[in-house]
Amino acid sequence: MAAVVMFLLLLQEEQNMAPKLEIEPGSSTAYHTGDWATQQPLYQNKWPPCSQTCPASEDIQGWLALASEQQWQAAWHKLAERNPFPATMGRICYHACESPCNRKHLDSAVNIHAMERYLGDMAIAQGWCHEAISDNAQSQRVAIVGAGPAGLSCAFQLVRRGYHVTIFDAQAKPGGTLRSAIPDYRLPKSVLASEIEVILALGIELRLNTRVGKEISEGELRDQFDALFLAIGTQQARPHSYNDRPEKGGSHHSIMSGIEFLQSLNRGEQMRLPKQVAVVGGGNTAVDVARCVRRLGAEVTVICAQDPHGTHHRDLATEMPASLTEVVEAEAEEVQLIYRAGVRRLVRSGEHLSGIEIARVDQVHDRHGNFNPKYFDGTEEFIPAGLVIFAIGQEADWHGLETLPEADGVWLGGDTVSKSKLAAVAVGSGYQAAMSIASSLKGESSVFNDHKKSKITFREMQLHYYPKQPRHEGETSEQRLDGFKEVVKGLSDNAAEQEAKRCLSCGVCFECDNCWHFCPDAAVIKKEGGYQIDYDYCKGCGICAEECPCGHIDMAAVT
Amino acid sequence: MDKRDLFRDNVLTSGHRACSGCGEAMAARMVTDLIGPDAIYINATGCLQVFSSHNQQSAWQAPWIHSVFANAAAVASGVEAALRAKGKNTPVIVQAGDGGTFDIGLQCLSGMIERGHDILFVCYDNEAYMNTGVQRSSSTPHAVRTTTSPPGRLANGKHELKKDVISIMAAHHMPYAATATIAYFPDLKAKVEKAMSIKGPRFLQVLSPCPLGWMHDSALSVTVSRLAVETGLFPLLELEHGELTGVMRLAEQKPVEEYLRPQGRFKHLFTGKEGGVELRHLQALADARIRRYGLLEADTKWDTARAMQSERNGRGGYVSTSTSGGAEHGA
Amino acid sequence: MKQLLEGSQAVAEAVRLCRPQVVAAYPITPQTHIIERLAQHVANGELAAEFINAESEFGAASIVLGAVASGARSFTATASQGLLLMTEVLYNIAGLRLPVVMICANRAVGAPINIFSDHQDSMSVRDAGWIQLYVDSNQMAVDMLIQAYRIAEVCELPVMVCMDGFLLTHTFEPVVLPSQAEVDGYLPAFQFARTLDPTQPMTIGGASEADNYQEYRIAQHHAMENSLAVIEALDAEFEQQFGRTSGGLLQGYCLDGAQIVLLGMGSLMGAVCDAVDNLRTQGEAVGALSLRCFRPFPAQALIQYLSGAQRIIVLEKAISIGGGGIVAAELRAALYQAGITTPLESVIGGLGGRDLTPEVIETIFKKRVEAETEMTNHFAPNHIITDEIDSGGKAHG
Repeated sequence: MAAVVMFLLLLQEEQNMAPKLEIEPGSSTAYHTGDWATQQPLYQNKWPPCSQTCPASEDIQGWLALASEQQWQAAWHKLAERNPFPATMGRICYHACESPCNRKHLDSAVNIHAMERYLGDMAIAQGWCHEAISDNAQSQRVAIVGAGPAGLSCAFQLVRRGYHVTIFDAQAKPGGTLRSAIPDYRLPKSVLASEIEVILALGIELRLNTRVGKEISEGELRDQFDALFLAIGTQQARPHSYNDRPEKGGSHHSIMSGIEFLQSLNRGEQMRLPKQVAVVGGGNTAVDVARCVRRLGAEVTVICAQDPHGTHHRDLATEMPASLTEVVEAEAEEVQLIYRAGVRRLVRSGEHLSGIEIARVDQVHDRHGNFNPKYFDGTEEFIPAGLVIFAIGQEADWHGLETLPEADGVWLGGDTVSKSKLAAVAVGSGYQAAMSIASSLKGESSVFNDHKKSKITFREMQLHYYPKQPRHEGETSEQRLDGFKEVVKGLSDNAAEQEAKRCLSCGVCFECDNCWHFCPDAAVIKKEGGYQIDYDYCKGCGICAEECPCGHIDMAAVT
Repeated sequence: MDKRDLFRDNVLTSGHRACSGCGEAMAARMVTDLIGPDAIYINATGCLQVFSSHNQQSAWQAPWIHSVFANAAAVASGVEAALRAKGKNTPVIVQAGDGGTFDIGLQCLSGMIERGHDILFVCYDNEAYMNTGVQRSSSTPHAVRTTTSPPGRLANGKHELKKDVISIMAAHHMPYAATATIAYFPDLKAKVEKAMSIKGPRFLQVLSPCPLGWMHDSALSVTVSRLAVETGLFPLLELEHGELTGVMRLAEQKPVEEYLRPQGRFKHLFTGKEGGVELRHLQALADARIRRYGLLEADTKWDTARAMQSERNGRGGYVSTSTSGGAEHGA
Repeated sequence: MKQLLEGSQAVAEAVRLCRPQVVAAYPITPQTHIIERLAQHVANGELAAEFINAESEFGAASIVLGAVASGARSFTATASQGLLLMTEVLYNIAGLRLPVVMICANRAVGAPINIFSDHQDSMSVRDAGWIQLYVDSNQMAVDMLIQAYRIAEVCELPVMVCMDGFLLTHTFEPVVLPSQAEVDGYLPAFQFARTLDPTQPMTIGGASEADNYQEYRIAQHHAMENSLAVIEALDAEFEQQFGRTSGGLLQGYCLDGAQIVLLGMGSLMGAVCDAVDNLRTQGEAVGALSLRCFRPFPAQALIQYLSGAQRIIVLEKAISIGGGGIVAAELRAALYQAGITTPLESVIGGLGGRDLTPEVIETIFKKRVEAETEMTNHFAPNHIITDEIDSGGKAHG
């Protein structure tokens, strides 16, 4: 019996005899490997080269990202934030944004302008409206002189911020140079009109046929408005040294300016041209004129003082300033181009212009950087022409506004102050003026943050993470010289969807998950809409930064 | 349990003591998160075991056991047999380095495969005994410098060739054997998922660069593993019942030098007198592998360029648990 | 019900009655008959277990390690070289505190290669952290195997049941096999908390450092020490249920009034008891003590049994080369610790299957009693008869 009791006691102790071993360890998360790091990754949005280059500072990456997800209307709004003319600019802008596109190091640049046009056209077709940024009406009133791209851009920004805006324009229709100087085959008037209409629909007061100094005085403007934006454009031709002598009894001139020619064409006036026309100048106006001349059935030769595109890699100032795409189109339309040449004299046969004598030029610009070509003797050549059109630049017409530029509360913008005279620059200057005016009216100092962001080149990116895909182009019309119909068509829906996805999203995270997948330490935490580094555990290996396709991640020394 | 990340389980979570930029930690994190915590993991001795279970602090958020160096496949066989006896079908996964696979673990592995256990054996191949200080293994490629295959007056690094372990596996006529690497997550994911859909013994060899042993910058682990594939030195293959059923086609064959240059373990080939012939030898090995597996002409779903492609909002995530908030990203 | 069974068959039946879910083994003589019978049971559907043909003993040990860690009662058996090939895993199983049960069919270790019985194999892994129980007979092998599962699972320690190769494994004896119900009544279903289970993920076998490795080892040692009482208690429970004892830690024979005690382990003890009977009839005050449990070493129990003896002769079937008799060394240390200086000597014999018959044992006894006691090791004589019992040095001289 004793043995049994003893045994039972032991049994009771069995549980105590079972091992008391703490065999289950704790979690490694108690150990902070972040202490090892000598460098740490930082998520840092960069400034993609397209946006850097865009004169209107569009967030191109941003709206392409929305487009790639087929959020078309959101993409259009994002685009219009800086440029309310996508359908227009998508057609006529020379898309400086595309030349630095990092995608060209992979295959070819994203067709940004075609996407811009696609969104603009879709907005017109769908009847999308712009939205105000602020519902709070501001008490101040702003006057804008000039209903061109700069003026309308400025008005667009201010009216969305609650300011009362009035635009004055001497012309009968709004649009400025966009209406007066861009040929229909590049920009149908209806497209421009639609975009202006949507801008004006935000509640902008427009006074047409109102020239400052005539229908309204400078003083009245100063008295009635708190701020004034002058965007009067360059509507008159820069003078040249050759006398304009009307043909006897003739209705056309043997010498014209490019702007004159385009304006009269855009007014719908009938023009009869001689068989051969010479155009002098190397800018976009010269090419526009030449292409219009071809459409009117005449032969045309463009005399350009600079070298062809692609000749000087580092010194663009010696290359023809006209957009390459325009030049390519012009050549396709059998426009003759003579480079590095200038007009020495007009050759007349009595009152009749028989042609021009050109000569080769040496340096195009003088020591001060002014356009001042030097001719080589003995290189003269005769170019037969019944009409010579000088497209050598335009100027602002300050008549009636002479005192305003110097006054307080007055801002200048658009082609008036722009060297390049690009419509996109005008749009951009309208935006900047609006921001500056708004800040000034609020008594704040205006700051442009864009330029503080660091830039990004393909070297900081990993291009092998992107698939090669050919660039999508709009179709080009076969019968291009048959009248002034648009030459280039827009992208198809399918092409637009594909093209939007070609954007590399330089320097801006597109949530590819690489950093998250590749972190050996589970120190990258994925959240809705992005990632977060858990610095408690990040050892600073740098793999996330190395493998980030778009260069969004920087490594910074731990201090 | 660490539940910091809503989109994956972090089966191998933070605080483990792998070196900065460890390719094996990355590979193990990917593989185990692709499989998820509802599995039993058996680990051979090696870097992964040491750095993940260090001194009472475990990085594993799934049942995990380590016994000894050579026996992971046998322990797993026992685990699988026990589960079978109990009528459970929890997945059983072995994780081992190249030492625990090619060398000391090969016998148990072969036994496991021959007996047909329903186990996925994952070899994280970093081509040497890294845990003990970078000694040569049978996985170490030709001409590599290790501490036991040092270059010297009479030697240019390891004289012998890397053991062709995938062919040994395939020779067992096992249901599925594949090679993968950390650089191609979609490929790795597809292979893990395929392996998990097959019953029986399965084998996955994941090339996992070791910045310390391969002597490259810690940031380059992914880059280097990508180059191993793009040069043809490490072909990505799938073999089913002994037959080659899939390869990753090379969009473009890169010269082996691109792979060798960033790695200090090949440096002597660029500085030593006899290096040139070894460089040509390594190029010839790459060329031969490309030819053997038809890496340039194979008709495949994707190639090295397509498999790299990053996409907006990722290229697929991990298995999600019911508690996870990222269900729509789940596999 | 008493049956005439080969030792291997008897013990295989005992294994079956313990309902293991995984059996893994690799063939090695003289263990093979055990697993062959188990394989047949599985093939016949008489044992619901996974039978795994391992690729080596190293693999077999690893398989049962994994199976027990997954919560399945398991079994393996080996001998000799196979046990040594398992060694790394044996340490590991013990360190992981996994209640694995195995049979070691004791066999000599090569070289020279020898398939016959001695204790060199199991004695060589005495420090691995396994409970080692040596059995005298096939009945005891059956009973001890059943107890072993209970001991292992209560203590969370692995148990090695050591039965002499051929002498027991290949010998037919009548044994009583308990019924399944009886065994089920003694041995409850396997309950083990520290298992690999996704619902309660656990890290098993992680790396440790100086901060805690020693604590693990001390805990293991304490668990071993505590198991002494468990072994005794569970033998008592077994006796109560089945009416047979396996003696617990050790079992005495004719110890009343014994001045000289012959101590040994395993099947040898049958011959020792016969020798004691003969010597008693010749008027010698001799008794025998069978050491069942070598690990943990039952020092207290031994002291209790041996405090009255005037002379102790340890018969050993293994040798620590360069050291001598292993059991004697440990026993001497235990007695010394207790202040007991009874003359104790070690006689090593029966190596590689050499017969230790009652006659040999009597000869040993007589020669040693005549000889002046030396605290040293001696070798058993080649055959009965007249050979001097050589001293250790002279044997190899």
